Amino acid sequence: MKKLLSLLLVFSLALTLFTACSTPASSGAGSGSAAASGNIKVGVLAPLTGTNAEFGKGFEVAMTMAMEEINAAGGINGRMLELVFQDSKGDAKESSDLCRQYVDNEEIVAILGDFTSTACMADAPIVKEAEMAILSPTASNPAFTEMNDCTFGIIGKQDADSRYYARYVLQEYAGVDNVGIIYIESDWGNAAVSNFVDEAQKIGLNIVETASYVQDEKDFSSIITKMKAANLDHIAIMDQGATSQIINQIRASGWDVSLSTNGPGTSQQLIDLCGENCEGLLLTTPFFFDPESEKEMAWRDEFTSRAGFAPTVHSVNAYDCALLIAEAIRQCGDDVSRKNVRDKLAAIEFSGGLTGQIQFDETGSLDRRYIICEIVDGEYVKRAGFDYPEQVAAGK
Amino acid sequence: MKQAVYGLAGPVKKYGPLVLLGIFLLLPLLITKTYILGLLCRVLMYATLAGSLNVINGYSGQMCIGHAGFFCIGSYVEAILATRFGISFWLLLPLAGAVAALMGLMVALPTLKMRGVYLAIITLGFSEIIRLIALNWTEVTGGAMGIKNIPVPQLGGLEFSNARTYYYIFLGVAALFLFVTRRVVRSRIGRAWMSIREDQLAARSLGVNTPAYKAVNFMYGAFWAGIVGAAYAPYARFIDSTIYSLDEGFNILSMVIVGGSGTLMGPLAGSVVINALTELLRPIGQWRMVAYGVLIIVMMWFRPQGLIGASDSVLAGRDIKAKKQKAKEDAK
Amino acid sequence: MEYILNQLVNGICQGAIYAMMAIGYSVVVGVVGMVTFTHGEVIMIGAFASYYAFEMAGNHILLGLLFSFAAAWLMGACVYKICYERFFSAPRNISMLCTIGFSMVVKNLAQIVFGPNQKPMLNIVDNKIYSLGIVQISTIQIVVVITVIVSATVLSFFFNKTRWGIKLRAVSQDKTAAYMVGINVKRTAMVGNCVGCALAGVSGMLLSIYYQTLQATMGGSLGMKAFSSSVLGGLTDIRFSALGGLCLGIIENLGITFSSASFRDIFAFIFLILMLLIRPEGFASKKGARP
Repeated sequence: MKKLLSLLLVFSLALTLFTACSTPASSGAGSGSAAASGNIKVGVLAPLTGTNAEFGKGFEVAMTMAMEEINAAGGINGRMLELVFQDSKGDAKESSDLCRQYVDNEEIVAILGDFTSTACMADAPIVKEAEMAILSPTASNPAFTEMNDCTFGIIGKQDADSRYYARYVLQEYAGVDNVGIIYIESDWGNAAVSNFVDEAQKIGLNIVETASYVQDEKDFSSIITKMKAANLDHIAIMDQGATSQIINQIRASGWDVSLSTNGPGTSQQLIDLCGENCEGLLLTTPFFFDPESEKEMAWRDEFTSRAGFAPTVHSVNAYDCALLIAEAIRQCGDDVSRKNVRDKLAAIEFSGGLTGQIQFDETGSLDRRYIICEIVDGEYVKRAGFDYPEQVAAGK
Repeated sequence: MKQAVYGLAGPVKKYGPLVLLGIFLLLPLLITKTYILGLLCRVLMYATLAGSLNVINGYSGQMCIGHAGFFCIGSYVEAILATRFGISFWLLLPLAGAVAALMGLMVALPTLKMRGVYLAIITLGFSEIIRLIALNWTEVTGGAMGIKNIPVPQLGGLEFSNARTYYYIFLGVAALFLFVTRRVVRSRIGRAWMSIREDQLAARSLGVNTPAYKAVNFMYGAFWAGIVGAAYAPYARFIDSTIYSLDEGFNILSMVIVGGSGTLMGPLAGSVVINALTELLRPIGQWRMVAYGVLIIVMMWFRPQGLIGASDSVLAGRDIKAKKQKAKEDAK
Repeated sequence: MEYILNQLVNGICQGAIYAMMAIGYSVVVGVVGMVTFTHGEVIMIGAFASYYAFEMAGNHILLGLLFSFAAAWLMGACVYKICYERFFSAPRNISMLCTIGFSMVVKNLAQIVFGPNQKPMLNIVDNKIYSLGIVQISTIQIVVVITVIVSATVLSFFFNKTRWGIKLRAVSQDKTAAYMVGINVKRTAMVGNCVGCALAGVSGMLLSIYYQTLQATMGGSLGMKAFSSSVLGGLTDIRFSALGGLCLGIIENLGITFSSASFRDIFAFIFLILMLLIRPEGFASKKGARP
């Protein structure tokens, strides 16, 4: 009897699943005309739960802020933008299922997300079938944007970043000779390091020691001891999440070696987590919260009060992605179709966001331009602007 | 009424599976939404995965909680051989299973004498080692960059390139798994497994070669997990080590627990329930995973053998004691 | 040489924290007789308790210790009520799965309540570096090691000299016999579980002081580390568990020295598997105590 009840329960659950999932989807079916009026919907995939929840939360807050801004200014060509958030848990399988859900829903014109490269790459073939653009703020695997012509990422190509880092930050600006590298064993970290090493060989920068670790590592003491044993005068840290921990542990071991990083950008979180330990840290970043700019400071404060933590590079990118997709839709005029949004996105030239100029290359990635910042008295200070490479070239 | 129901049992048992298979075969023609087809693919995939875990946990009463490791091996074997050497998917399917089975043997051999908890931890450690190797052995597995552009399977002129077509591969694997496992479980081997589960000492004294059967059991479970892994890789087109985390193993495990262990239909039900809950609980956002955990605890408290698990076995925990008690009282 | 010695110091310091977790773990397994997967989450709760204590009342390490001890004790009571009490006569797997479910609940609740982001835990200890010949030791490391040693000593006094300690040992050795001599087994088991969890909570505080950060997801692999360490003592012997933790810390750090930090967990698991193969019952076989 119990068994029968259980079976019934299972069947009813399965049934509700189908009905529940097909009702909202079917309402959007065959409604090409319905899409011409009403809100413009963009789907968002973000890890709102699970180990990456921190970043998913950042996505949600930053993108919601962008959406409210756009709608407060009258929306897109008179229509409101509506972001539909779904929790992918950072799981590739769930992400691709949700991606299919967006594809089925004709009202959705484009997808923002996901956080991890793995999830994004699982989604790529699905969006390609629908000719719908997927724009990821954070996917760092260089292969992602190359997968097809519907995939876009704004994290920027690592070859540009790491080369700038090696040549301009370390050699030209800081004038160091012997470098040790600590990097995360991830797609992003690997690409960053290989480009860095390549450039370093070209310009004659000595790489004395490299050490890597996998995600969720907490104890860096043995890596630091390894670095200490090597004869070096500078450590380059290539990670986004654990940079603060590495800096703290280097300082806790009583070592005042000069440090630099290219991962986290000018995130307030880094300063909050490191306190005095990150004084003098050099970093390359595509964006900079200018203390002079009221708008940027207001954005930062607004984000912090909503999210409960200071924005990171991920959230800033997410904010820009939402603005970017809105701009692409605006350029479509009345013909807001998936294909058209994709085409407009590919051809976009945009500089209204926080992270500077955005223009995609043929693969759907982009070359970012970097500036050099330093932390002085717990504040980021701009040391060299976007035109620094030109200045260096002119100086020679 | 009751008799009428029982009268139906015969034909239902005889033709039920065929009818069900027929319905499943027709589903893609009836459903237009690819999202639902994707969900069905996931349900079928996890049903087979959970089923293969159930062979280990449910039928022989061993405790494997690192099933994601075997899943991982299957995927990587398929992905590596298909991208590097262009070997056909259909050949790789059994091959990946065989490699996973071999790994299963490697785990099983040293752990044969160990009691449940130790075995559980070893499988957990093993699963994590596999994942870390996949992450670090860059030359072979692509390391953190993963393996991309895994070729899609082809049959005749048909390309299995999206959820609609791939559905049939998952369906085929699931059906084959259920059919073969049904045969195995009802054979001498299956009875030996169950006797080990109920009482290892008694099984041994009755002449069951318990170490051999336990090893075979592990290999059989790993074999099917490997096959599902191989089937999953071209479906995702891209794999890397983050897919096969411990959480994935717990996810598979929770399907067996909730659906029911020790029966063929249990894991299928578990896969349906868990995947349905995953979708239905989306509105509660962050609380979804909390609800999962609570669900597992509730199951353990009130029905440790799962929704449609083997109620007449030790898996039912406290229930069985109560039942024995009742039987005794009835006898009086 | 200098290099290896310094790595050894790192290993000992980390090993000390592992030892603390392992002691807690072996108390839990020894007294309750069931394996737990919530240990990592208990550690996390301890860390957060001390974090909020430091936030509110300033950096007094004893206060943090008290808070994390108390919070983890309460956690222990919850774990016991939910995962163990009903299952003493059921197959062990059931309570184990129950702890997996409970750890999911705690971890995700913590993400909601404490927020998902990393939190800083800076300058709890006024850090200085001391050079002993060629070896360098920091104040944080000294504080960590001393805390572990003191706690272990207090615990061993508690177990050997107090009435409760003797009760706990009796329950750990044989529940039926303990019951027959008039010990309230269930209550004693609960206290034992709470003691073990409280120690885990303290180790959580030490971890976050040592790493200067904490996060809701930090529990992750720590429970596994605690398990691996206590296998050396057959999961139940306190002294060998502590030794196992120390060994694990040193092996991991020396392993990293000669390879890469990416392999850290591989060393831990290989240590575990080798231990189980060589001597599954641990080096301190105690009659009647079974995992």
